[in-house]
Amino acid sequence: MALRRVIYVLLAAALLMTFGVTYAQDDIVIDFYFPSATANDAEGIFERYAGLFEEENPGVVVNPIFTGSYTDTRNTILTELQGGGAGPDVAVMLSIDLYSFAEEGYIIPAQGFIDAMDNGADYVNDFFPALMANGVDEMGNVWAIPFQRSTPILYYNADLLTEAGYDSPPTNNAELVEIAQALTTDERDGLLVPVAGGFPIWMYQSFAIAYGQNIVSDDPTEVYFNTPEAVAAVEFVRSLGTDLGVGPAGGAAWGDTPVAFLAGQAAMIYHTTGNLTRILNDADFEVGVWYLPSGPAGDDGAGYGAPTGGGNLYIFDDGSKSAEELDAIWRWVMFLSSPEIQADWGATTGYIAANASAWETEPLASLAQEHPQYGIARDQLQHVGKEFSSYATITIQGIINGTLESILTGESEDAQAAMDAAQEQIDGILAEYR
Amino acid sequence: MKDANLLLRRFGAALKAALAIAFLIPLFFTVLVSVRPEAEPVTNGNIFFGSEVTLDNYQRALDIAPWSLHYLNSIVFVAGTLLVQLLTVTAAAYAFARMKFFGRNILLLIILLQLMIPSGVLLVQNFRTIQLLGLFDTRVALMIPYWGSAFGVLLLRQTFREVPLELEEAARIDGANLYQVIRHVYITNAIPAYLAFALVSVSSHWNEFLWPFIITRSEEIRPLTVGLNKLIKTTDQGAFYGQLMAGTLIVIMPLVILFLVFQRQFVESFARSGIR
Repeated sequence: MALRRVIYVLLAAALLMTFGVTYAQDDIVIDFYFPSATANDAEGIFERYAGLFEEENPGVVVNPIFTGSYTDTRNTILTELQGGGAGPDVAVMLSIDLYSFAEEGYIIPAQGFIDAMDNGADYVNDFFPALMANGVDEMGNVWAIPFQRSTPILYYNADLLTEAGYDSPPTNNAELVEIAQALTTDERDGLLVPVAGGFPIWMYQSFAIAYGQNIVSDDPTEVYFNTPEAVAAVEFVRSLGTDLGVGPAGGAAWGDTPVAFLAGQAAMIYHTTGNLTRILNDADFEVGVWYLPSGPAGDDGAGYGAPTGGGNLYIFDDGSKSAEELDAIWRWVMFLSSPEIQADWGATTGYIAANASAWETEPLASLAQEHPQYGIARDQLQHVGKEFSSYATITIQGIINGTLESILTGESEDAQAAMDAAQEQIDGILAEYR
Repeated sequence: MKDANLLLRRFGAALKAALAIAFLIPLFFTVLVSVRPEAEPVTNGNIFFGSEVTLDNYQRALDIAPWSLHYLNSIVFVAGTLLVQLLTVTAAAYAFARMKFFGRNILLLIILLQLMIPSGVLLVQNFRTIQLLGLFDTRVALMIPYWGSAFGVLLLRQTFREVPLELEEAARIDGANLYQVIRHVYITNAIPAYLAFALVSVSSHWNEFLWPFIITRSEEIRPLTVGLNKLIKTTDQGAFYGQLMAGTLIVIMPLVILFLVFQRQFVESFARSGIR
């Protein structure tokens, strides 16, 4: 019967196709998991880097594997490791994922490799200190190496500012409000701060730091969410959409903010440096970039504030990997964090190249010269604070996000009460780690 | 009387039209946004074509993922799943419909219960099983959890039970063996149910993301949804709606065309097999 034959052939074909790619037997294979958070062809870029690396390192094969968003990546890796799989050798994960993975014993510190280097201290000191903050534990051991990092900055439509008689961007909150109010019209928001849509914590941290109290410290068992500064910060963000009337009540949505800015529907926005390349390319007006305006913590620079963000390189080992394998893995990590690759990566994607020497390396050096906006994003790093991370990061982050959202949308009118309640809940969770 | 009838018919037609429009709006906007320049967002009072009609979004979407490879993989995935499902589901449905054996009702109940377990709960456990079988990152691993289908078994069992027993007896008297009875008596009489099941199976696996994503690593075997995922993951830069809509259309187009071509058959088979 013809139908049956067709079925057999199809089944046989399906079975044959199950055999995957095979490698030469002696090669060391590095499985490299990467998330994507930009519209770039990350896959193509990593294939290219893998090719360059393999040329310099015969006998090592790098296998770049796309693992979705940051959240997908974390879930994929956890499912795989809990299900008895091998997991990645190296992965790019959020810089704040450190404790979740270190607690389970899935990752190993980079410190051991750094100590074994001849110039380990130089290697570490080349990274911007702010970008190392989330990769180091409370004992000072380096676990993760900065890779695709970002930080929020102020983007402003320079044409609109000039039209309204402002020659320079706002440098403190008072000027920010003044200019935003002057530029708000029926069709245009003066300032969009993307805190709507379930993840306000990152943008909120900028204000908390500007008000003088980051909500995290170097101690992963401490969170400072109900201090007067923390409360004043969220009240200021809320007032942007209510009393001050320079943006939508409850804040703007993350994804729509750059779109509105590019379309001229917002005069100023807070957004990530990860967006700089896109905005410079797509805007048909003069784009200005400046530090996030300074808050009450001080005009001397102390009031500047933004958290870092983005992903670090993590090394996975359950103790079963050989010295040769670990050596190859470390060489791949060093390759990705080298000034040459960081310069290329920063110029291609818009992430902040993580080491100082990358900014003197082509193609980034000429790009930064051509567009001084890149340099401003880099220079803000000297004022930047640690991104929120603690033990039980995901749970606590969820509590903070929920609390902030209810305050910003006006559901919880009394910010102090809501934050006291959240702080109590957080301390309860962290008590078992103290 | 006549007037009342006419009025009722008109009302029915208007209702149908309203429903059709409600279902078409998302598709309409998908097409609209996909041909709008990316830099011109859809806003109040500005919802139709932008300053020009452009295919740039498609070009960028095409550049980001190897679509032809993903297409092939999706086709192998849904076809390989469906073919095996048809065999297992037919056999099980016949057994439950017509054979008498110990524990039949309990077994059926267990299968029924399985419909109520959300697949996400089983993710780690299924992964572990695949790992034990040594099938991680293979095409078989993609399909194997779906090679049995509780929905298919229940649907076909109901359909088979409605086939008159006399037909099977007559076939037996004519000398048909079990295989021939199933083939000529039951399958022939259950074609609408098979079509309905195939449609549900193909569309659900075509759209499946989580399992294929977790269980595969090689680009060579990953299906379309993983490719589409690359277009969604632009969180650091905000939304690229045009590009995303273009990618969505690339992914759903075959199913839409398939449905338009076989529309009549699908609608009839759904009506006859009792799924609404």
